[in-house]
Amino acid sequence: MASEKKYWKGFDELGNTPVAQKLAQNEFAEDLPVEAILGDGALLESSNTSRRDFLKFVGFSTAAATLAACENPIVESIPYVVKPDAITPGIPNYYATSYVDGQDFASVLIKTREGRPIKVEPGDKGFFNSGTTARAQASVLSLYDSARLSSPVKGEEASDWKKVEAALKSAVEKSKTEGKTFTLLTSSVFSPSTKGVIERMRGAYENFNHVQWDAASVSQKLDVWEALTGNRALPFYDLKSAKVIVSVGEDFLDGGMAQQLASDYAVGRKPGAGMSRHYQFESNLSMTGSNADQRVKVKASEYGAALAYLYNQVSGASVRVGALSADAKKVLDKAAKDLVAHKGASVVFSGGNIGANEHLAAAINAALSNIGTTVQAGKSVYVAQGNDLSLSNLASDLKAGRVGALVVWGANPAYAAPGFADLIKKATFSLALTDRLDETASLCTYSAPVPHYLESWNDYTPVAGHYAVAQPTIAPLFDSKPAQEVLMSLLGDATLYKDVVRSAVAARGLSVNAILHDGGVQLSDGASGAGSGAAAKALAGASVAAEEAAKAATGEWEVVFYQKAVGAGFQANNPWLHELPDPISRVTWDNYVTISAADALKLGVENTSESNGAINGSCLTLTVNGTTLERVPAWIQPGQAAGTLGLALGYGRTKVGKVADNVGVNAYSLMKSGSAYAVAKVTLAEDEHEFASVQLGNTMMGRKIVNETTLATFLADSTGKSWNEKAEFHTLEGSVKANEANLWPDHDHKTLHMWNMSIDLNSCIGCGACVVACHIENNVPVVGKDEVRRFRDMHWLRIDRYYSSDTSHESAEADGVGVMAKYAAMEVPSASPEVVFQPVMCQHCNHAPCETVCPVAATTHSQEGLNHMTYNRCIGTRYCANNCPYKVRRFNWFNYMKNDKFTGVNPSQDDLGRMVLNPDVTVRSRGVMEKCSFCIQRIQYAKLEAKKKGEPMVDGAFTTACAQACSTGALSFGDVNNAKSAVAAVKQDARAYHLLEEVGTQPSVFYQSKVRNQA
Amino acid sequence: MHYESPVREPLVLGNKTYHDITLDVVRPVESTAPKAWWIAFSIALAMFLWGVGAILWTIANGIGSWGLNKTVGWAWDITNFVWWVGIGHAGTLISAVLLLFRQKWRMSINRSAEAMTIFSVIQAGLFPVIHMGRVWVAYFVLPIPNQFGSLWVNFNSPLLWDVFALSTYLSVSTVFWYVGLIPDFAMIRDRAINPIQKHIYRILSFGWGGKAKHWQRFEEVSLVLAGLATPLVLSVHTIVSMDFATSVIPGWHTTIFPPYFVAGAIFSGFAMVQTLLIIVRKLFKMEDYITIQHIEMMNIIIMVTGSIVGVAYITELFIAYYSGVEYEQYAFLNRATGPYWWAYWSMMTCNVFSPQFMWSKKLRTNLVFTFIISIVVNIGMWFERFVIIVTSLHRDYLPSSWAMFSPSSIDIAFYMGTIGFFFVLFLLYARTFPVIAQAELKTILKSSGASQKKHHTEDDHAHH
Repeated sequence: MASEKKYWKGFDELGNTPVAQKLAQNEFAEDLPVEAILGDGALLESSNTSRRDFLKFVGFSTAAATLAACENPIVESIPYVVKPDAITPGIPNYYATSYVDGQDFASVLIKTREGRPIKVEPGDKGFFNSGTTARAQASVLSLYDSARLSSPVKGEEASDWKKVEAALKSAVEKSKTEGKTFTLLTSSVFSPSTKGVIERMRGAYENFNHVQWDAASVSQKLDVWEALTGNRALPFYDLKSAKVIVSVGEDFLDGGMAQQLASDYAVGRKPGAGMSRHYQFESNLSMTGSNADQRVKVKASEYGAALAYLYNQVSGASVRVGALSADAKKVLDKAAKDLVAHKGASVVFSGGNIGANEHLAAAINAALSNIGTTVQAGKSVYVAQGNDLSLSNLASDLKAGRVGALVVWGANPAYAAPGFADLIKKATFSLALTDRLDETASLCTYSAPVPHYLESWNDYTPVAGHYAVAQPTIAPLFDSKPAQEVLMSLLGDATLYKDVVRSAVAARGLSVNAILHDGGVQLSDGASGAGSGAAAKALAGASVAAEEAAKAATGEWEVVFYQKAVGAGFQANNPWLHELPDPISRVTWDNYVTISAADALKLGVENTSESNGAINGSCLTLTVNGTTLERVPAWIQPGQAAGTLGLALGYGRTKVGKVADNVGVNAYSLMKSGSAYAVAKVTLAEDEHEFASVQLGNTMMGRKIVNETTLATFLADSTGKSWNEKAEFHTLEGSVKANEANLWPDHDHKTLHMWNMSIDLNSCIGCGACVVACHIENNVPVVGKDEVRRFRDMHWLRIDRYYSSDTSHESAEADGVGVMAKYAAMEVPSASPEVVFQPVMCQHCNHAPCETVCPVAATTHSQEGLNHMTYNRCIGTRYCANNCPYKVRRFNWFNYMKNDKFTGVNPSQDDLGRMVLNPDVTVRSRGVMEKCSFCIQRIQYAKLEAKKKGEPMVDGAFTTACAQACSTGALSFGDVNNAKSAVAAVKQDARAYHLLEEVGTQPSVFYQSKVRNQA
Repeated sequence: MHYESPVREPLVLGNKTYHDITLDVVRPVESTAPKAWWIAFSIALAMFLWGVGAILWTIANGIGSWGLNKTVGWAWDITNFVWWVGIGHAGTLISAVLLLFRQKWRMSINRSAEAMTIFSVIQAGLFPVIHMGRVWVAYFVLPIPNQFGSLWVNFNSPLLWDVFALSTYLSVSTVFWYVGLIPDFAMIRDRAINPIQKHIYRILSFGWGGKAKHWQRFEEVSLVLAGLATPLVLSVHTIVSMDFATSVIPGWHTTIFPPYFVAGAIFSGFAMVQTLLIIVRKLFKMEDYITIQHIEMMNIIIMVTGSIVGVAYITELFIAYYSGVEYEQYAFLNRATGPYWWAYWSMMTCNVFSPQFMWSKKLRTNLVFTFIISIVVNIGMWFERFVIIVTSLHRDYLPSSWAMFSPSSIDIAFYMGTIGFFFVLFLLYARTFPVIAQAELKTILKSSGASQKKHHTEDDHAHH
């Protein structure tokens, strides 16, 4: 029985007095007698609230109201009245599309948040070029580039699309009547729908002329393959099945090719019985060459001779061989033996835009029966289409005044084709369809903006058998119009290009929705009979090609052109790419000539260090055929072939935007129609240049930082005991493994997840895609050249590069070298160094030196093996960074979001650039420490997703930004407490080791030893 | 009753009477400042303001205005911090340890030595505060109950120990110093004519009446505070050294650090006392109180502690060699022969070689020479901290992260500013405080004063 307790509010209620009764009826208090009081003058007179008191009250309430108003400024945000189906705040949407920037093609996924594209991620359907390079990763920022052209202009004045189209129409009509040409100049076009539009132009205008030209040209290679297969396209290379790879000057891992080869290359580089062997013969120490098992320095003019010699060795022929060093011949002999032993499973590359060399390489591949296996001549890669000859024809047409209307779309000849700047004005009318008022657009009559690839519709056939689409991930930010629509307007056709693409998809009998979902479709494997006669033709033409190759121009100095992260220069205004250190020199924000130490001595070139460690270098003056390039900084580069100078393209832009204007020198000015190298006169200039390199120590100083062994040793001892010795401590109780010797209690890492990362040093090629991906994902600020020079780069993830030295502890002991001389000698890299790359991020130590020293416990350990950083607790003593053996912690020296010093470089300082920030990651304030978090925002998101589903987390359901960006699979991330996870398996690998294990930090990151397959 | 051996030199020269001492001590307070004081004060004030500008610039723009980088996260800031803390050590040693050991010669120098301690600890305290990236949340280091959640400081961190060590040291030293000042303030109060001055000194002297009970309490409190302060002489620099010793960085991770740092601190502290007192005795004509004997005593301490420091340096080198640890060996080799070799050899020359001259009696009783060596020692001790901090950090485990350090103009201005601030405080002190503990000194006049000693000797002769 429930008790009926009653509680009284007081004795009055208990006694039920009249007052209580009255109150009970009148629940609410009576009105305030305002009228009664204010109306009663006498009462007011007698009140003792003086004017003084009144003023006091007013003063107090004003002050109180003022204080209460001291809140953060109100940021107005407007909620959706009707929420779009696809957009839920906080939930990302992904769109499959194609990344095309005038040079590269990749099948990618775009992550958008609240309708903003914020990240480029690799395609997940295994299509052609599904990896993301550093350039592809960074390309999302070009969308938010404030230097983009926002609306059509005529010279300096604003214009509009109607005027542009009318002007174009009349100019084209006029050119027809005047008997002049109507020329469209583009970079490579491999979009069927775009080609369709261009064909309609050709049909409508007899004087129409389409010129395809690429700044970083492979035109001569295309000529060779066109002759061999009848298809103007490069062959598809299958590196997965190549056991021997020989490259003469081709930097095939680093963007020189239309096809991404890194992932297939890495497949063959897995240590084991079938590991591939890679020979590289080159002038510049390229990233590809750094990964080779054997690398030989060869001058660019001798590439042809090397190929001819190799051809003779493998085929038994005796074509003409030009001058070639004995060293090169010795290694070529070895390579030839290896190649012959692996007929049909080997590949030979030829570097640079040199037709004769490409023909010789094709002949070698033919002689080795590689054509059809590793070199699939029948499967065409269409990404590169440019033709140098058509550009020189256009130049002579312009010179002769035969061009009535010139439309330049997605090409920048005024920057990249020497002498073209003066010719553009000779066209009666010119229109640039461009993303910015660049060097070419600013010379044209009209310039009009075209959408960024993330705002565009398109379709592509990058490779035979693969049909890709591009779809917009955001509405156009500016008043832009697809170039195809501009062209169609000439025909009075107002169809949207979007509809052209959609109907093209439908016309192929494909589902528009399905193809937009996947980003493309694999129609066939792409193989065709076109390559059947190629081998025979290649062999037949070999001796002619050898004669041609022997004529290669040679001189005391050869300037060999190459590409860095900014590539041919299309994305030159992208600060992420400038801040990404060069994989080899580790220099940022620059191009320069690389020169060997011996040549530097000869010319008097010096690289000196200032008191703060920043490096200064001498400058050179380069003269090629009367064209002089002044103030070219010189960087002393181990591994550079004597008599050669490397010079990167894509720099020295003058009208690209605030980030990159006048950064570096324009190498194109020395490059004649896409040539691979140029013979130059070199003199020492008086100027001194300031470099911004992130790495001062170039060698490992005899320390076991990168554990390395040879394939033979690796195969002989599968336990790793002899080549992967674990650090041990000698204690009272005998030897104890370094990671088991504890002073402190261990954290419990068995109960929950335990996140670990494995980094395979055999797979890492040093490309830096992970570094850029991390930069984007985690809102890492860009600090610019001056700050990098002060060793204040902010990258959470870096790729250390070490050269081998001629001196080791053992060799010094054998030679009786004293200890001081030994260390001094060990700092000097070898002239032909072996190179290792080592990605280093926060190692998430389980006995973390940083955690103990923080006075305010701002950095702490999680139960999941993570080392957390609590930004709003951090007071910035930097003690943690000092005590980090890996030096991975980064301090916010300035307010990078506001400080004027970074306005020019840090994208998040302008309203547009800020759109790229990842809303899941805090932007750190000045004075706090930051570092890799193992992408904790991704971990938490995946955990919540699993929780919502009520299922355990699945291995591979998510990964960190770096691991995701890595196309070679060098980084793998996961939960080692899940026995089935990939990372748990590799943790037991004989190659696994911890960096600086002997310090006892017990990192959550471990490395897989590097294995070289040396002959 | 204390007996003073007649063989010892008198501690107070010039046949002083009690009144003479009073007049000598009070003279700077009662007279107007000489021109030299004004010049010195103006220079110090200008330097101080320069430093204030550097601090404001740092707070406004960020630590990036210093020369630090991702590899070298501490350089001049912590070097200066440790340097100033070290300088502070002599004061407490003189006033507390020598009090407990009944070393009477300390009486004429302890007041100024202690003032120097307090002023230099104030300078020292500036650096760890300003070096914080977010100085506006500096109070996070204090274990204050808060509403942020279960947030507490990290008691494992040596930086937190520093907070306690320094604040304890500063407060105990200040109280100890102030207690000693009370009878002397009372003396000035009693002589003061100007009513404002009289009023101020009345407040400062806490109503001191010179009664027997007052003296008894004064003695007791002094003894208790001396007992409290004595362990601090050892603990403060021990804890400062643990900032380095508990880390994992080769060159920092060294168990010898605590005694080595304490010896170094006393070494530099005495050197600074020498520098200041040689000036003070000249400017304020205190030659009768701060005698050559005092200078010599302190020189002996400098020589001994300098040698201890030298032994520590050599021990470090030996242990690096003997440890067989590659990183450790390289760290020390790099110190001596790497890019910062000049800093290492400056340190060695100033700290180890220069004090050895003090073996010569002629040199250690020479004022000019002492003055020069005292400055050389402090330069050397500055380099010692720079060497430990910068050369260890700039090349640690991974060569990929090796870097160099060079100070910015703000670094320099901040450091010079603290020197200016120190002298501003010291010069103000010298004009307003009794620079010699006259009440204490009067107690030894009868046993160790010049006239007394003279009588002693005469008496002895008379007996024989």
